[in-house]
Amino acid sequence: MSTMPPCGVLTPKDFKSELRPIWCPGCGDFSVLQAVYRALAAVNRPPHEIAFVSGIGCSSRIPGYTTAYGFNSVHGRALPIAQGIKIARPELLVLAAGGDGDGFSIGGGHVAHAIRRNVDIAYIVMDNQIYGLTKGQLSPTSPRGAKTCTSRLGSLEDPVNPLLYVLGYGCHFVAQGTPADMAGLTAMIEEAIRFPGFALVNIQSPCVTYGEEEQQIKAHRAKMTTLESLGHDSADRIRAMDLAQHYGTELYTGIFYRNPDPPPSYDSLVLARQEEMMAKAAPRERILEVFLQK
Amino acid sequence: MAIDFSRLSLKDALDLAVLIEQEAEERYLEFADQMTAHHTPDAEKFFRFMAVNEEKHGSELAVRRKHLFGDAPSSVSPTMILDVEAPDYDQARAFMSPRAALMTALRSEEKAYAYFDRALPSITNADVRALFEELRGDEIHHIELVKAELAKLPPGEEPDPEAFVDEPTAQ
Repeated sequence: MSTMPPCGVLTPKDFKSELRPIWCPGCGDFSVLQAVYRALAAVNRPPHEIAFVSGIGCSSRIPGYTTAYGFNSVHGRALPIAQGIKIARPELLVLAAGGDGDGFSIGGGHVAHAIRRNVDIAYIVMDNQIYGLTKGQLSPTSPRGAKTCTSRLGSLEDPVNPLLYVLGYGCHFVAQGTPADMAGLTAMIEEAIRFPGFALVNIQSPCVTYGEEEQQIKAHRAKMTTLESLGHDSADRIRAMDLAQHYGTELYTGIFYRNPDPPPSYDSLVLARQEEMMAKAAPRERILEVFLQK
Repeated sequence: MAIDFSRLSLKDALDLAVLIEQEAEERYLEFADQMTAHHTPDAEKFFRFMAVNEEKHGSELAVRRKHLFGDAPSSVSPTMILDVEAPDYDQARAFMSPRAALMTALRSEEKAYAYFDRALPSITNADVRALFEELRGDEIHHIELVKAELAKLPPGEEPDPEAFVDEPTAQ
């Protein structure tokens, strides 16, 4: 017998686990977690129907702080595992989470395939331009010139642009948010979860310990510009890519791109094929005839 | 979910006020737990004190609600409010000083004041108006209390939280 309240009465607290986050006080991930609780409450799926998969890093601790079924996996591998779960159990709501290193360095090779398959997963990336858990190394989204313990004289590399990366691969839902706008962040996470296909939300979630002053939430408040205020049409992929080019110099928040006519998700296609094959399958008692010579 | 203050009933307004206090209480408790984990006892003690205050205020409002409306079901939900009086997550810091903790509380009370003050022009129900004016007045009082505590703190150099940070490590 389910002890869950009937649908329609889920609150953010229903998604909060008893584990207390060990993030540094002031970490942007606290706000992301709060936004996730609110988004899940709005979507109204009970926790036992949600699989939340993460990689490795501070941000990847997030599944443990929810009452969903969490899987804190290995570095960069949240997406393959999340895809497996979704294909095997398409009725579950599947979320994936990780940091910028997890998603765009070691895990970068998986992003393309999750996108092109269009598996129905909401992928939340907490982008803080640093490897925080391991104490401050340069990450794939660290800006050129960043001085870290692995780039003491300043980074000589240009960063990955995660927004252009995923738009270039054909992602059908791409958004960027910040804890400086909690209402906007919650809304876009909710939309990503509801989107029928692969959806990515890149969240500028600063590291208070190893991040720079201009990367903190106070600076976000001063710097952010909503895409809505620019009159951006989220159905315009080309304009989305144009705006995404400003990653790192501007902080644009909102939905960059949402395909107004998304194709069927991979998991729904697999299900359809399975049903088609089952319809043609021989009954069990005749299955051996396939192997018998007549 | 945006609130239409012009259509707010007294029952809804009281329920909202209770939720605002509960949200703040929970946030201060979270902050206190963070301070415990990061060995910051003075700030921890203060945040627990604030949590108790928020709980007390929330309970008083809940008693009033019960007296006026009994067990009538609520039509407001926690998702209608967001960080009204609860301190913003980015206010907390490991090793934060008592002064920094008090400033966090001050900003939260100022936020709450601004919330009630902004809502007042839209309110049409006289009872709701009276309640919001009362709540706004409470926030003015709380701001004064926090400022009084700040004034009591000894002057002197604030400890630099950066001094306690683990140095970045090349892996």
